[in-house]
Amino acid sequence: MSAWRHARSTTVRLAVAVSLSFLLGFALLGGSVYAAVSALLLRDAREAIVVDADGLRDVLADGGRAPLILAVRDRIARPDDPDALHALRIDGRVIASDIPAAATPARDGWHESREPDGTRLLVERRTLAPGVEIATGLRLRSESGFLALVARTSLAALAIAVLLGLAIGALISRWVARRLRALDATAARVTEGEIALRVPVDGTGDAFDRLAHRFNAMLDRIEALLAGVREATDHIAHDLRTPLGRLRTRLEQLRLQATVSPDALEPAIAEADQLLQASNALLRLARIEAQAPIEQAATLDLSALARDAMELYEPIAAERGITLAANAEVLRVRGDADQVFQLLVNLLDNAMKYAPPGTQVDLRVERTGEHACLTVADRGPGIPAAERERVFDRFHRIETDRGTPGSGLGLSLVRAIALRHRARIALADNGPGLRATVSFPLAAGE
Amino acid sequence: MRILLIEDDADTAAYLQQGLKEEGHAVDRAADGREGLFLATTEPYDALIVDRMLPALDGLVLLRTLRGAGNTVPAIVLTALGDVDHRVEGLRAGADDYLAKPFAFAELSARLANVVRRADGGAAQTRLQVGDLELDLLGRRAQRGTRRIDLLPREFRLLECLMRQAGHVVTRTMLLEQVWDYHFDPQTNVIDVHISRLRQKIDHGEATALLHTVRGAGYRLGAA
Repeated sequence: MSAWRHARSTTVRLAVAVSLSFLLGFALLGGSVYAAVSALLLRDAREAIVVDADGLRDVLADGGRAPLILAVRDRIARPDDPDALHALRIDGRVIASDIPAAATPARDGWHESREPDGTRLLVERRTLAPGVEIATGLRLRSESGFLALVARTSLAALAIAVLLGLAIGALISRWVARRLRALDATAARVTEGEIALRVPVDGTGDAFDRLAHRFNAMLDRIEALLAGVREATDHIAHDLRTPLGRLRTRLEQLRLQATVSPDALEPAIAEADQLLQASNALLRLARIEAQAPIEQAATLDLSALARDAMELYEPIAAERGITLAANAEVLRVRGDADQVFQLLVNLLDNAMKYAPPGTQVDLRVERTGEHACLTVADRGPGIPAAERERVFDRFHRIETDRGTPGSGLGLSLVRAIALRHRARIALADNGPGLRATVSFPLAAGE
Repeated sequence: MRILLIEDDADTAAYLQQGLKEEGHAVDRAADGREGLFLATTEPYDALIVDRMLPALDGLVLLRTLRGAGNTVPAIVLTALGDVDHRVEGLRAGADDYLAKPFAFAELSARLANVVRRADGGAAQTRLQVGDLELDLLGRRAQRGTRRIDLLPREFRLLECLMRQAGHVVTRTMLLEQVWDYHFDPQTNVIDVHISRLRQKIDHGEATALLHTVRGAGYRLGAA
């Protein structure tokens, strides 16, 4: 299920990425709104200040210094805007001013400063006529308040956006994960041998649906190819059987004739038998592979099968000086007794073939979690790790075995039977020797 | 014996017919299911050999029809399909035995003898005797002349199986089926080793051997 874990970490990353981009988007938006509003307010304030100063300039132009002094004093005493600021200096002497000394500009132009409480002050100083200097300005109190409000609102919106981003990210990733999970589960089960399984398609035609369709099409193709291979094997084996059977019968009939020595014919009959066995094994293999997985078969006691197999092999073991040791728990699995017995016999047969005299072959049936594990372990040469997958292939034989009898189909049959019974096979080093373990799912209620 | 062979493949039919005739049987052959059913219901046969996949009428349908009409002639089904499910299906349809193709002629001959003998009855025996070898099925005792033979339970069943078919070839596969109750192709010499152990116990030190190996076929228990 590591694919599923990968998928899950992918969806988590996706959720984080979605909320981060929400966050970034809102920060950019909030920042630029703040900057724009701030610039707008400053421009308005400057305009108001300029209009005020222009008014005073006109007063000076129309009436001279006296009306100007009156006008400034009047504006300081009864301001239209409580935040407005004015200062008038004539010939170096301050005539009237409500601008704090610290904020009074020393030169013409725009000046910005802050009061001790942080309020921003914006002041423009200009010289209206030689010796007549006027400073007009604004306390930017309401502007600051407004900007603070904008900032607070933006931050609140940002917090909401982050939460929303996380929530949407989580929802999206859950949805993606759900779609991926179906794909992942199907792929896993197909790998286990349920080649007929397909990914559910919801008909929405979205990317996942298209992926599911493509995936299913791929499985269809694989299934068709497998069926083709199986059919070809089946046909070959099938077509070989009749002539082989006839060949064998004719050889047998020849033996009855006095002119032919039975000893001369025996090897030929044995060869024919071996060919017959190989073609029979191929056919049986093809048939087992084509059978649906075991679902509702009768339950079998694996320990009883193990006992029977032990008893069947005990004389061979004794003949070869091998000790056969069994340790079987009573465990029930669903299956076809003949096939499971065949699996057991094939594994035992291999162990017997390779176990050196004087060693022990172990046969165990034990429970491991939800599985009944059948183990056959010998002290023979074992199988190199690199070969352990390939020994299950049809006709695959380890190089050193070429001389020994055998078709190279025994372990293929073992694997086909195991797959059909939803069992897993593991080949391991028995230090020295081979340990083959087949874990069957326990029958319900065990 | 008079045997009806219902087989559509001419070559297979020809060599089976030849082999059966050489064993001294009279063989009729039907090339399809309908002809087979007609012959089986109108002529008295001792045994039927029925191919499962036949033109005109499937072998299993033919058997079901025969059994439904009360015909109990022993029948062996020959088939390319040899799985448990197929075997069970065949036996339910009324077959007495089942043989997957390809088979050795010796296997067919041994099984044919077995189903015919079973049909003759003789099931309720409590003692079996071959030459001076005796098997007491109730007391679970075996003895040869005056010598007691100690047998393990499986050896006892093996000997019983051979004695019940005394004089006839019993194949390795038949022994696996009848003694061990598993249907599969052993592809090894496991059975041979059991037989050689049994042979040690019954024939060792005796003037005449009773348990014989029939080359390329199986085993036969008998005085000659």
